[in-house]
Amino acid sequence: MVRIYVIDNGGQWTHREWRVLRYLGVETKIIPNYVPFDEILKEKVNGLVLSGGAPRVGLKERLGRCSEYLEKADFPILGICAGHQFIARHFGGKVEPAKIPEFGKVELIVDKEHPLFEGVPKKSIVWASHNDEVTWVTDEIEVLAHSRDCKIEAISHKSKPIFGLQFHPEVEETEYGTQIFRNFIEICKRY
Amino acid sequence: MFDPKKFIEETVEKLKKEITGKALIACSGGVDSTVSAVLASKAIGENLITLHVDTGLMRKNESKEVLELLKKLKLSYRFVDAGERFLDALKGVKDPERKRKIIGEMFIRIFEEVAEKENIEYLIQGTIAPDWIESGDKLRDRIKSHHNVGGLPENIKLKIVEPLRELYKDEVRAVARELGLPISERQPFPGPGLAVRILGEVTKERVEIVREACSIVEEEIEKAAKEKLMKLPWQYFAVLIPVKSVGVHGDKRAYGYTIAVRAIDSVDAMSGSFSRIPHEVLERISTRITNTLGKYVTRVVYDITNKPPATIEWE
Repeated sequence: MVRIYVIDNGGQWTHREWRVLRYLGVETKIIPNYVPFDEILKEKVNGLVLSGGAPRVGLKERLGRCSEYLEKADFPILGICAGHQFIARHFGGKVEPAKIPEFGKVELIVDKEHPLFEGVPKKSIVWASHNDEVTWVTDEIEVLAHSRDCKIEAISHKSKPIFGLQFHPEVEETEYGTQIFRNFIEICKRY
Repeated sequence: MFDPKKFIEETVEKLKKEITGKALIACSGGVDSTVSAVLASKAIGENLITLHVDTGLMRKNESKEVLELLKKLKLSYRFVDAGERFLDALKGVKDPERKRKIIGEMFIRIFEEVAEKENIEYLIQGTIAPDWIESGDKLRDRIKSHHNVGGLPENIKLKIVEPLRELYKDEVRAVARELGLPISERQPFPGPGLAVRILGEVTKERVEIVREACSIVEEEIEKAAKEKLMKLPWQYFAVLIPVKSVGVHGDKRAYGYTIAVRAIDSVDAMSGSFSRIPHEVLERISTRITNTLGKYVTRVVYDITNKPPATIEWE
């Protein structure tokens, strides 16, 4: 069985991420973001999801030990919303208040083929809820998707299995959300 | 996937171990509290006392129907009519969070009074995931204080048990269906009742207006769904906005409140999109509301905001 834990950064949909993983047959639980990496490692996880966060934490906050996870993990990590913003910052990128924040329905445009978006059409409906956004990334990071108002909706590290999504695949209204989670689970299995 | 049968077995076993004395459950007649009551009654039998409180903020005929339901489910129940107490406590209060806190506290005080009289140690609550998620904690922002979590006072004498804490409404409905409960598909109704469907101060007159408007919205939408003009939304109701606008009623100037109609589709209340109600149905609702409540209401509007950015209820 695949084991993927959800790191709780205080988002409204953290529990929903846990639910989607559970429904997909993954062994999962929600862990506060201050748990040391060694303790997570002991449980032999195959992957981590860094949840969204309380308001604005993606902008400047440390998000508990998320930095440590990103440095030490030898398994895939998927950051969502604030988790995604934190990944971008961790690898030298920039997060700023969005000129036009996105709440609710957004049209996602996938620009690069990627295992995370397998079976997801070029254009699809996703739901988002963010005040801040990633505005710039370093060479280590590849941008995978955008929307009309947000240039960086999805990212992937070029040499590590680390991904970020500005929108929320766990929310029911995101058309291919479950598919994206399935893809992430596949990536975790193969790794 | 979620397995309601397994959930029932495991929860009944857990409740048997957790509750070692008499327990009280307050039942609004909604899916969450009724499922909790039935599960608890399976676990501890006669040690469970079910309580229904009429807050005076319930929908039309609601308390009467709830008492009939409790009777039908063969639950041993008590009834407290606290309409005046709630209305008194809410006098002059406009802030939505304060309303929720006052109502949450009033509920607990009433529960404690009953518990003391009957020597009850435990309080079972039908809290589900969105209640504690949206109420906030050390990590999470408070979106609104749900009366059974964020609205609770700090000093509570009863030990709280929450068997549905990890579940969402669609999962609770699956449990309700497995238990054969007639209320399994009932639309959600907030604990603070009509108080959060009146923006600003809650008065007796406003409660009556919004109660009637809610009843019209429910009737018309349920009728339209039956006629296959639309599918039944997740939740559908009226909100009283105490902003007045001008109308003309029988060649005479009118000046009254605004009613907002809200209908939203969702699976778990954590996100949702406004329902695509056919215009003819909206028209029926609007005409009935302005005719029935013409003395108070001059305008009806339809809420076209999704969640996020809005929430389902207005407060």
